[in-house]
Amino acid sequence: MPIRETFWNIPHWAEIGQYILAVLTMVIFGYGVFRRIRRWRQGQPERRTDQIGKRLMAVLTQAIGQFRTAQDIYPGIMHLTIFWGMVALFLGTAITTIDWDMTHLIFDFQFLKGGIYVVYELLLDVLGLLLIVGLGMATYRRYVTRPARLQNMPVKRLGRDDAYVIISLFLVAITGYLVEGLRIAVVKPDWAPWSPVGNAVAAVFTALGDPTNRVLHLSLWITHGLVAFTFIASIPFSKLAHIFSVPTNIFFQSLQPAGALAPAGENSETGVKEWRQFTWKQVLDFEACIRCGRCQDVCPAYASGLSLSPRNMMIKLDTHLWERNGGSSLHGDVISSEELWACTTCRACSEVCPAFIDHLTSFVDMRRHLVIEGQVDAQLQDALANLGRYGNSFGQSERMRAKWTQPIQPKVKDARKEPVEYLWFVGDYASYSPSLTDITQKTAEVFQKTGLDFGILYEAERNAGNDVRRIGEEGLFEMLVEKNVAVLDKCAFKTIVTTDPHTYNTLKNEYPAENDHTVLHYSELLDQMIASGQLKFTKKLGYKVTFHDPCYLGRYNGVYDAPRRVIEATGCELVEMPRNRDKAFCCGAGGGRIWMEEGEVKERPSEARIHEAANLDEVKVFVVACPKDVTMYQDAVKTTGQETRIAVKDLIELVHEAL
Amino acid sequence: MNIVVPVKLVPDLVEELTVDASGSALDTAWLRLIINEFDDHAIEQAILLKEQSGGQVVVVSPNAEGVEDMLFTASAKGADQLIKLNGDFEDGVNNHGLARALATLLRDLQPDLILTGVQAHNDLDGSLGPLLAQYLEMPYVGYVSGVTADSGKVVARKEYPGGLIAEMEVTLPAVLGIQAAEQPPRYVAISKVRQAMKTAAIDEQEAATLDPSGGPTVSRMYQPEATEQATMISGSEDEIAARIIDIFKESGVL
Repeated sequence: MPIRETFWNIPHWAEIGQYILAVLTMVIFGYGVFRRIRRWRQGQPERRTDQIGKRLMAVLTQAIGQFRTAQDIYPGIMHLTIFWGMVALFLGTAITTIDWDMTHLIFDFQFLKGGIYVVYELLLDVLGLLLIVGLGMATYRRYVTRPARLQNMPVKRLGRDDAYVIISLFLVAITGYLVEGLRIAVVKPDWAPWSPVGNAVAAVFTALGDPTNRVLHLSLWITHGLVAFTFIASIPFSKLAHIFSVPTNIFFQSLQPAGALAPAGENSETGVKEWRQFTWKQVLDFEACIRCGRCQDVCPAYASGLSLSPRNMMIKLDTHLWERNGGSSLHGDVISSEELWACTTCRACSEVCPAFIDHLTSFVDMRRHLVIEGQVDAQLQDALANLGRYGNSFGQSERMRAKWTQPIQPKVKDARKEPVEYLWFVGDYASYSPSLTDITQKTAEVFQKTGLDFGILYEAERNAGNDVRRIGEEGLFEMLVEKNVAVLDKCAFKTIVTTDPHTYNTLKNEYPAENDHTVLHYSELLDQMIASGQLKFTKKLGYKVTFHDPCYLGRYNGVYDAPRRVIEATGCELVEMPRNRDKAFCCGAGGGRIWMEEGEVKERPSEARIHEAANLDEVKVFVVACPKDVTMYQDAVKTTGQETRIAVKDLIELVHEAL
Repeated sequence: MNIVVPVKLVPDLVEELTVDASGSALDTAWLRLIINEFDDHAIEQAILLKEQSGGQVVVVSPNAEGVEDMLFTASAKGADQLIKLNGDFEDGVNNHGLARALATLLRDLQPDLILTGVQAHNDLDGSLGPLLAQYLEMPYVGYVSGVTADSGKVVARKEYPGGLIAEMEVTLPAVLGIQAAEQPPRYVAISKVRQAMKTAAIDEQEAATLDPSGGPTVSRMYQPEATEQATMISGSEDEIAARIIDIFKESGVL
């Protein structure tokens, strides 16, 4: 009967040696894990232990199921084969240990025999092959096709770490197969065909005959043991640490809405100046980074040629932390202000990160320090000073805020003076930008024609502060919130509606929640009115259009379908750009970028986006649902010379035209 | 070094300016005040000097709406002492009157250096700096864009038209009219200003009776009027100059 003959051909001293080595390995491994946990604990406190069930579910689907990892096909398959190959081999070894060192040793009973044993052998043999396939894919990708996102590492020695992982896994797998093959070559068990790979290896060695094969077997068995134990011991000291740091990071991810940025920490009111001021979760983020570079691939700042790469930020921060600053300062030596200011806070990086790293909290915390130190460029300084003084970034009097309403009849209600159902929070760009006046007026006209009971705050409205907060000017954000809340508290309304996704995000996710009003983006409101029949169209426009998802509407708040349904209701045919919905490419204006000096860019994100749309067949209209997008893309169609090819239209223009 | 920076608030041009019913002054109903831009540079220059060579910075301002916020902002930037000068500044006070009031206060403060904005857009009777220098009997250098401290003196960089820059040693105590600080005024985070509101104190001083004598009296204030005609004068420089003198004589200004 087939049975597992553990320690065949192994002298007693080698067997004992193996157990000693195993204990030593566990000690080193344990120390390595302890060292990491100790480092996480040096971070500032942060609570991440609510909703345990949801957290465990995330670990199940994303750490074990690896849905996000698998979304990128080639590296996804590569990772899954290595992962499941290793899981199988690990479980196989664990089962053998139970079979031999527990049930056999204590109860004199082996369950790895007969049918179970041959199936065990077959599964292990085949799944082990998966590992080799995966490693082959990894080697080919890293050293032959060399995708850009794996190049240009800021810390050169990490290249050795990458190579070490591939080589050590290869050695574990290959020595394992050789040991198996040599055993089969000598023992020639009847059930050898159940180990197809081992059997094939055996065929090569049979000719050498006994005792050469016995000597070879013992020496390779020892090599395999040494390689495997070294591999296990090195896990917490190499890139392999992601085996536990990534699931841990997934478990402790923020379960708050993506659009609610954590307030400036109590211990670091002035932002993060040095590494000790990061929270433990931020430290864990840096550590969980596996340097895959998916974030870099989707980063609009990186794509436009600016110095920011989210991947490099994580690598540099992690290295800096291990060095316990090593005499270099976080700001300046490790992370430059150009990198920090380049971020548009579009969240594409976090959305795509298989390790669920929250890049932006760290970026904003470091920006907070720059703001406190007054290290802002002249343009941004003007914008902040204007926001502080006049409540808008345009530096205009608040009395001019509602100037766009002048020609509108009947007069737009003043929500401070009479109750309204919908309070329209207009926002800075829609209120002040001369090129947007027409769109803002059309919005009012659509609202009026559909019989919407709405009003505005006139000169009492202030910038809602979404981007002020992401600049890192927390004090100014608080001041704007206080002023807005003070006036909102005096108004009677049921729902806030806004055309600006940035305003929408902060009002919905960051403003004090004591008032039980809902916040709607106008695309949601229009969608609701179409569904209820309150908004009816008389025309079918018949344009072929594409739609650009605003970051703060889509990725931040998951509103993808409402604007699409509105577009379809106007009788337009929607053609998606390759990067749509949660993969949408940022226009480059967010996170306060619209107020900053641009820096040396190769191609503006907005221009790249227009090229993307221009490649769609016969698409004539580029539909946006954000006032800043109108500004950004109207510029971009001009600078790319696509003005005659593509028209940038706000969603409301389609609605207005189809009424 | 003890640096005193007298500053004032001026009408913010973001709001439309209107003339009040009397026809000789601005309508204050819609008026919003903002720190005189050059004074902001003077504060920055004072704080830069303090950071480079120590000392203390005192910021003084006549009372007006919003003066506390402005002083706390100066404190958040690094000013050590804040003084609000109370007095009847609302009505008809000019730089002569302000300079006299400030001079009394400044004598007590015994400054080594007085930095003030070289001008303000509402100066009707000349800028404040020279008047202060005169009343305090100190030397004055205006249009300064950069100051370096030395023992007992400062080196001031003064800009001249045509792109010339002179470096001049000024014996202390002295008054400098600042056109631009070495660096643009820094940004100060709102949380720092709020912190200053909690920790910094504003020292209130009473101004003696204001004496605006020496300044002009405004008889009429009005929006610029579009001229109805323009005459182009051609010829050599001498001919043009002679013609201009004739025109002045004809119109009665000369």
